[in-house]
Amino acid sequence: MTTGNGAASRASEFFLRREVLITVALLLVLTWLLVSRGVSLLLTILIDFAIFTIVTLSLNLEVGFTGIPQFGRVIAVIAGAFAVGAIPGRLLAWFMGLPHGLSYAEDAVNYKVVPQLSEVLAGNAFLAVVFFLFSLVLAALCGAAIGWLASRPAIRLREAYLGISLLAFGDFFMWAGHNWEPLVGGTTAVFVPDPFRIVWGYRFQAVVITMLVVTLLIYLYVERLTRSPFGRALRMLRDSDVAAGVSGKNIVRVRTQSLMIGSALAAVAGGMYVIYTGTCTAIGFTRLTWTFWPWAYMMLGGIGSNAGVVLGVLLLTTMRSIITVYRFKLFGFLTVWGIDPLWLEYALMGLVIVVVVLFMPHGLIPAKVEPILPLGRVKKALERTAQG
Amino acid sequence: MDYIFQTEKVTKSFGGLVAVNDVSIGVKEQSFTMLIGPNGSGKTTLLNVCTGVLRPDRGKVLFGGADITGWASHRVYEAGLVRSFQIPLPFLGLTVLDNVLGAMRNPGESPLRAPLHRSWLDHEQDNVDKALDILRRVGLARHWDQPSFALGAAQLKMLEVARGLSAGAKLIVLDEPIGGVDPASADEILSYVSGLKAQGLTFLVVEHRIDIAAPFADYVYAMDLGRIISQGPPGEVLNDPKVIEVYVGRDEAC
Ligand SMILES: Nc1ncnc2c1ncn2[C@@H]1O[C@H](COP(=O)(O)OP(=O)(O)O)[C@@H](O)[C@H]1O
Ligand SMILES: [Mg+2]
Repeated sequence: MTTGNGAASRASEFFLRREVLITVALLLVLTWLLVSRGVSLLLTILIDFAIFTIVTLSLNLEVGFTGIPQFGRVIAVIAGAFAVGAIPGRLLAWFMGLPHGLSYAEDAVNYKVVPQLSEVLAGNAFLAVVFFLFSLVLAALCGAAIGWLASRPAIRLREAYLGISLLAFGDFFMWAGHNWEPLVGGTTAVFVPDPFRIVWGYRFQAVVITMLVVTLLIYLYVERLTRSPFGRALRMLRDSDVAAGVSGKNIVRVRTQSLMIGSALAAVAGGMYVIYTGTCTAIGFTRLTWTFWPWAYMMLGGIGSNAGVVLGVLLLTTMRSIITVYRFKLFGFLTVWGIDPLWLEYALMGLVIVVVVLFMPHGLIPAKVEPILPLGRVKKALERTAQG
Repeated sequence: MDYIFQTEKVTKSFGGLVAVNDVSIGVKEQSFTMLIGPNGSGKTTLLNVCTGVLRPDRGKVLFGGADITGWASHRVYEAGLVRSFQIPLPFLGLTVLDNVLGAMRNPGESPLRAPLHRSWLDHEQDNVDKALDILRRVGLARHWDQPSFALGAAQLKMLEVARGLSAGAKLIVLDEPIGGVDPASADEILSYVSGLKAQGLTFLVVEHRIDIAAPFADYVYAMDLGRIISQGPPGEVLNDPKVIEVYVGRDEAC
């Protein structure tokens, strides 16, 4: 505001902003964790951060931008995870002349075949890269297909009804995978060939860097997608679907597109996750982890705000990791009152949601209302049309 | 006849209430056709049925030679018919400018082209020029960068009008566009709107404030209790005893 030391005041204004303060504090905490606990905890946090940033960005696309009550985020994550658990390994096994039919997922066969496949990938960098990229593309396609399927009830159902049917749909998939062995091993895990074995010794680091790069690319994609006439159409649907229809937007088509893109991205996260863990178990994909936590991340960060999502995920994944590591050391005293520190994580999620709803409903970085066309261009247009 | 738009015996009921009863109207090309009638006479419902917001129970809706009965709203829009809402339905999370831009077409609405900003930026730029011009006409240009939730009631009405005008439609249907606007600005806006007839546009306007709107009308339909009770040039309809009775009757009741 003042003209005298504008730069200095702007700088101090910048550093006093809530999101900047939180980011700086988080970086300090992460540095401290790196120093006190070594690099592996930090890498674990970064992997969670990468995976859940993608999942939450995809959730935000559907919820924050399009207004779809997506309580079944886990569906698409499962689609990606199952696809990568079930298909690329089989294809490679078929290629190598190893068992690849339904028996591929039987534990007695699977634990012998997959290490052989990983060996093959370890010896051939090109094949490893192709395997990885193919897995991601496959996951995205399966996710998009599931998104399309989920969009069918989305045409007829509204709000709560749609939310609950998406939620039920997600549980259905988890239990189907859990009980039908040939897909991904049923109750026992199916192993996933490891395209990162080629950098053995630095596998963890390579995985983290790769995932962060994919996350960055997806962030840039989502940013560009939402800052476009398509993004505006999504927001129109969210704010009033009747008015959007009258303004020429095909409500069914736009909603379907949003669900397909969001689900494809979430599926990429699911696929990368099973490549990272090297196994795929149906029962691991709970709605708590893959639907409700992403909702908490999104609400904390700011619904409809891509940058907010990133900060929300970083803040909460870090806190969750700290709780996991230190819960007995720091919170062991809780057992005196009969509280098991194991439950702290759930308490954190509840607390975050309540605090956000009560005190900052727009999140850490609220979504900005600004023109789709870059401001500079609009201002030029203003000048030009004012003369005319 | 040179009707661009017609309804044929359209009926719509809500439960036992027949809101629109056997209504047949016609709108001539490049006319300013007015639809009047007391509150609750079924005007908004008729527009909803004509623009895909509601489906008629019976009857036909014809536009530009095509039978558009029961078409979804976006298809009606694509055919060249757009409407505004009596109770404004703004996109609250968008700027005033983007509210108007949203009613226009842009190739960047395709998700495949959307990330390639160069494929739609120029088009958007043209749309912005048009939108700013329309916003200026309805007195909202100063507010272009505000979120639409910051607007007052009368301004939201004008935003509705701006959206209707920007869509590039052949027939623009306005549901009580000047409600809550002061008489001088209302007159200014209606004269701008009726001036657009010369560019080939047609208007069907529902208006409660007959005194302000009637001078612009070429033809008037009067509705009561879901039926058309009178039609003709404004002078005739406004002096029709049936119309006077309906209005006087309601006024006394108030
Ligand atoms: N969605 C609806 N559900 C039930 N009744 C409705 C609905 N919309 C309008 N009505 C009723 O239909 C009648 C006509 O309403 P409306 O078309 O809004 O009249 P107008 O626009 O002429 O004031 C009124 O009695 C109103 O209560
Ligand atoms: Mg009405």
